[in-house]
Amino acid sequence: MSSLKEYIDKLNDPDETERIYAAEDIGYLNAADGVPPLLKRLEEERSRTVRDVIFQALIRIDADSAIEGSISLLQSDDPQIRNQAVDVLRRKEARSIPFLNSVMRDGDKNQRKLVLDALTESRACDAQEIYAAALADKDLNVVITAVENLGRMRAVEFRVQIESLLQGDSNPMLIAACMEALVGIGEESSLSAIRRCFPDLAMLPDFLLASCLKVIAVLGSAEEFAEVASLLSVRGPHLRPAILGALTLMQPRCQLSDAHEDLLQAVRAIVEDGDPPLCRYQAVRLLGFWAIHDDVYAFMVSCLSNPERLVRLGAAESLRMTGKPGFELTLAARALKETDDEVLEALRC
Amino acid sequence: MRFWRRLDVKRNPMAIISVEQIQKLGQQIYQKLGLHFDDKKIYFLKTRVAKRMAALGIDDPRDYVFMVSYADTNGAEMQALANLITTNETYMFREYDQLQAFANHCLPEVLSAKQASGDRTLRIWSAGCSSGEEPYTLAMIIQEVFPQWQSWDCKIVASDIDENMLQKVAAARYGDRSVKDVPDEYKAKYLIAEGDEYVVRRRTAALVEPIHLNLHDRMALRAMRGFDFIFCRNVLIYFDDLSRKAVVDHYYNALRPGGYVFLGHSESIGRVTTAFKLKRFEDHLVYVKE
Repeated sequence: MSSLKEYIDKLNDPDETERIYAAEDIGYLNAADGVPPLLKRLEEERSRTVRDVIFQALIRIDADSAIEGSISLLQSDDPQIRNQAVDVLRRKEARSIPFLNSVMRDGDKNQRKLVLDALTESRACDAQEIYAAALADKDLNVVITAVENLGRMRAVEFRVQIESLLQGDSNPMLIAACMEALVGIGEESSLSAIRRCFPDLAMLPDFLLASCLKVIAVLGSAEEFAEVASLLSVRGPHLRPAILGALTLMQPRCQLSDAHEDLLQAVRAIVEDGDPPLCRYQAVRLLGFWAIHDDVYAFMVSCLSNPERLVRLGAAESLRMTGKPGFELTLAARALKETDDEVLEALRC
Repeated sequence: MRFWRRLDVKRNPMAIISVEQIQKLGQQIYQKLGLHFDDKKIYFLKTRVAKRMAALGIDDPRDYVFMVSYADTNGAEMQALANLITTNETYMFREYDQLQAFANHCLPEVLSAKQASGDRTLRIWSAGCSSGEEPYTLAMIIQEVFPQWQSWDCKIVASDIDENMLQKVAAARYGDRSVKDVPDEYKAKYLIAEGDEYVVRRRTAALVEPIHLNLHDRMALRAMRGFDFIFCRNVLIYFDDLSRKAVVDHYYNALRPGGYVFLGHSESIGRVTTAFKLKRFEDHLVYVKE
C-alpha cells in the first residue's frame, strides 16, 4: 500500500495524470499532514484539473488545517482559486465559522465579502456574530451580500435590522436587496415598512418597482391588488412580467371573484399580442382566475387554438381549473388537433 | 353572468406556482443537477413540481422553493424531483440531434486527425449504458458513416454497475419500444427481426464490449484510458456534487487530447469543472479535452 509520502512525492510528477491521482489519494487518505503539500502544489500548479482535484481533496480532509489553508487562499489573486477556496469553506459548514469570524474582523472588504459567500450553506443562527457585523459593515457590497443571504435563509431574526436599512435615501441596490430579502422572510409587517418609504408605486423607478412588486405579491392585500393592476396601463411593457406575476400570486390570497373590466381588457390584450410568449402565458393564467365567467371562459376556449403554444398551455390549465361541466369534452376535442407534446399533456391530464 | 363554482386555487399547486418560482427552481436544478430547462419547459416543470408538492403535503410553492434551495441538506428532495424530470426510458437513437452532431462533426474530426497521425484505433466509452441501446446506436452510426471501420481497431466499451443490465447488453435483444426511433434503413441493415423482438446483427454487436464498472470506484476508473469519446448521458444527475466532480475528472484522464464528452442534451458540466472546452456544433454543445 502506498504511503502518504509517496503520494506527496507524486504531486510533483511531470505527468498530469499522476498528479491528479496523487491529490485524489491524499484526499481519500484524509490525512491532515497532506494539507500543506497540497497547498504548496497549488501555488505552482497550472493544470485546472489538478487544481480541481486538490480542492476536492481539501474538502475530503477532515482537519482544521484544510479550513485554515482555504482561508489563506481567500487572498489569492486568482479568482478560480478564491472561488474554490470559498467552496471548500462552504462545504465545511459550521466548522469553518470560527475561522470565518476572524476574517470578518480582520480581513479587507473583498475577504469579508467572500466570508459571506462561504456562509450560504450555513444557518444564520450559527453565524449571528458575522451577520451582525456584516449588516453594519462600511462596505456596501458586504452589506448587500449579507442582506441577500439572510433573505434566502428566511432569517426572521434579522428582519428588523433589514427593515431599518430601508431608507428613501439609501443606495438603490441596497434597497432592492432589502426588499427581496423581506420577501423571503415573509413577515406581513415588512410591507408597512416598505410602503412608508415608497407610498406611490407609480412613481418608483423600474428596478425598484420590480422588487417592490415581489413584496406586494407575497404580502399585499385586495387593496394593493387594484393598485398593482392599474400599473399595467401606466408602466412600460418590460414591467408586465413583474406586474402579472404579482397579480397571479395575489389573486389566490385575495380571492376576488370579479375583476375590473379595464383589467380584464388589458390582460386579454397581452394574451393576444403581448410578447414575449412567457408574458402571454402569465396573462392567460391570470385571466384564468376569472374563467368562471362566461365571456372569459369563451375567450379561454378560443385561446386553445392560438398559434403560440404557451397561450394554449395556459388556456388548457385555466379551463381545467374552472370545473365547468363539459370542460373535459372541450379539452378532449382540442387534443385531437393538437401536435405539441406538452400541450397534449395539459389537455389530457 | 353565470357562475359554476368558486375556483379553489389555494389547494391546487398548479394554479399558484408562479413563473418566477418555476424559474427559481430551474436555477436550483441547474446548480445542483446540471440540468438546464428553458422557458419552453415551464409547464413540464410545473406539473412535476406540483406532484412533489402534493406528495409532501406542501400547499405554498414558496415553501417548496425554499425547501429545495436551502433545507434539502442531504439532497433527497432534489433527487426525488430529478426522478420526475428525467426519463429513465432508454431507446436507440435517443436525442437524435445530438447523435447527428457526433456523426457529422465530432467523429469525422477525430478520425481525420487519427488518420493523419497513422493511428488506426477508435475507442468509445458508453458510461452507465443501462440495457445497451446507446452503445449499439453508436455501433450502427460508426458502420454507417465510417466505411473503413473494418480495417481499424474500433471498440465501444459499454459499462454499467448493474449486472442484470449487462446481461441485456450481451443478449443484444430489444423490444419495439427500444427500436422505435431506429430509421428503417438502419433496422434492415443492423437488426434482425425475431418474432416481436429485434436482435442486433453479430457484426454490429461485436463492436460493443460490456464491462462491469462502478463510477464511484476510483481505482477502476483509473484503468479506463485512451478513449476518443465518452458518452455519459443522463447519468451524472444521480450523483452528488463531489462525486460528480470526481467522475468528470476521471473522464478527463480517460480521454485522449481532442476527445469529446457527450452529456444529456440538458446537462452541463461547466459548473463542475473548467477542464474541458465547450464547443458548439449546430444546436449542440459538447465538451472537448484540448
